[in-house]
Amino acid sequence: MNHATLPQSPESRANRSAFLKSMKLNLWLAVATGTYLVTLFAVRQHPEWSPGWKVVLTLSPVLPGLLYARAGLRMLREMDELQRRMQMEVWLFAALGTVFVHTVVNVLTAHGLGWEKYPDGLGMGGTYMSMFILWCVGTVIANCRYR
Amino acid sequence: MKNRVRQLRTGREWSQGELADRLGVSRQTINAIETEKYDPSLPLAFKIARLFKQPVEEIFSDAG
Repeated sequence: MNHATLPQSPESRANRSAFLKSMKLNLWLAVATGTYLVTLFAVRQHPEWSPGWKVVLTLSPVLPGLLYARAGLRMLREMDELQRRMQMEVWLFAALGTVFVHTVVNVLTAHGLGWEKYPDGLGMGGTYMSMFILWCVGTVIANCRYR
Repeated sequence: MKNRVRQLRTGREWSQGELADRLGVSRQTINAIETEKYDPSLPLAFKIARLFKQPVEEIFSDAG
């Protein structure tokens, strides 16, 4: 059966369009992460490279990162008003939750009660992980609330 | 805020998805408006009023 000839409802077309946009968004995130890992490995493997070249390589994930941010903002603008409101609430929840997690970890670390594995707090990876987990939790809560 | 969106929609025998397509919003938005979990923006409220050919205040009213 040729699926291309099947009639599509406006809702399924909208779902397909939203899926493609989210894939584009995830693609830029994957490119940024891949670039970060490759350049991190390359710079560590070649300490003889000039500092200028190392700076250029180290900052190279910023470009796909900015394109990720642009794709995210475009996606947000194209959402309908309830979806936009939900995303704003979820991002605020994730950001404030991450600040809270960092504060708790830093206070515990300052009192010598932090995890031995993370003597300097959560760091960049921990921040991203905390935001991602809280974003997922917030999305589930928002979808339950406005279901 | 109370509203008569569900009553007006079912009166025309439209599904939530059909109304959502006519208004250019998601079905979830229509459901949230009908269950009064979400109050639409002023532009969307006017769009709903135009679609049902009724004044905004006939469709939306203050719950208090």
